[in-house]
Amino acid sequence: MTQLTVIDESGSHAFAHVGFGEMGVGAKEFASATGWTLKAEGLCKGEICVPVRNSAAMSNGEAIDVAEFVRVTGRSMVVDASRNIVAMGEQASSRATAMATLDASSFTLPDINGNLVSLSDFAKRKKLLLAWSSW
Amino acid sequence: MQAVKEWATKEPLSYPVLIDTMHIVADLYGIVNVPAALWIDENDKIVRPADSTPASDMWRSFSGVDSAVHHELLRRWVRHDELTMDADEVRSFQVLPTSEVQQARLHRRIAVVLREQGDEDGALEHMDKAEQLAPHDWTIRRGNMPLRGVDPFGEKFMEFVGEWSAAGSPGFKLGTGREK
Repeated sequence: MTQLTVIDESGSHAFAHVGFGEMGVGAKEFASATGWTLKAEGLCKGEICVPVRNSAAMSNGEAIDVAEFVRVTGRSMVVDASRNIVAMGEQASSRATAMATLDASSFTLPDINGNLVSLSDFAKRKKLLLAWSSW
Repeated sequence: MQAVKEWATKEPLSYPVLIDTMHIVADLYGIVNVPAALWIDENDKIVRPADSTPASDMWRSFSGVDSAVHHELLRRWVRHDELTMDADEVRSFQVLPTSEVQQARLHRRIAVVLREQGDEDGALEHMDKAEQLAPHDWTIRRGNMPLRGVDPFGEKFMEFVGEWSAAGSPGFKLGTGREK
């Protein structure tokens, strides 16, 4: 069985490629990797739900179509079909809208010892966010 | 990674050092070059946007940035709550991404993952695409150099700087401490 690698902001996730839609993967595996679950109210992640008009194209219960997911959630996507790898991210317009709110988006990244650290660990404090490279 | 570890463990640090191979923070905060800094207040609002902020004057003759200017502004904010700009000014100095840059970031992420999987050819292909889409973004062009085995301070880098200058030096708009 071929594998499909899906890259999002939380990292890269390997799925078994299943025969559904353009890029079918197990719905359960997709949900645990990305946080997005198909419910009656639509595609939901935490408190955010995106309405799904054509739920038959999105999922057959067992599998979810990653290509349809990207279209419905309005994300941008780069597909390398020959290498079975897909990256999805924020579109320029939605990133610009988010930046204009001036709300500091939280993120979670590993520190040098592999422990996960989030911006929200420093709530109620002033934060200097420094980006640098060791080269 | 090794160099970061060596630096970060030389002395005990009071802040965490995080590894962002996918450039998640650059994407979220409009960071187009490093070193860069931005300020986030107690209510998680961005009160100063990303800008070039060297920690020292080591590269001052090259960058034309007096690092002390940012340090002083930072001290005043931390100690006395003095803000440097209002919300509209913060917005006006943000570097918003183009669709091409967002696509480039995705190609770069694919390159990083393919490289981890041992697919060097695939990685190179996606690095090329990223650079075609975002030829003047330092986090893409210069950020790819070590991945390609190219010296990020060498000839290729100077070529890039020339291209970038000829294009009008697009990037951070604020210019904290810039002398020229």
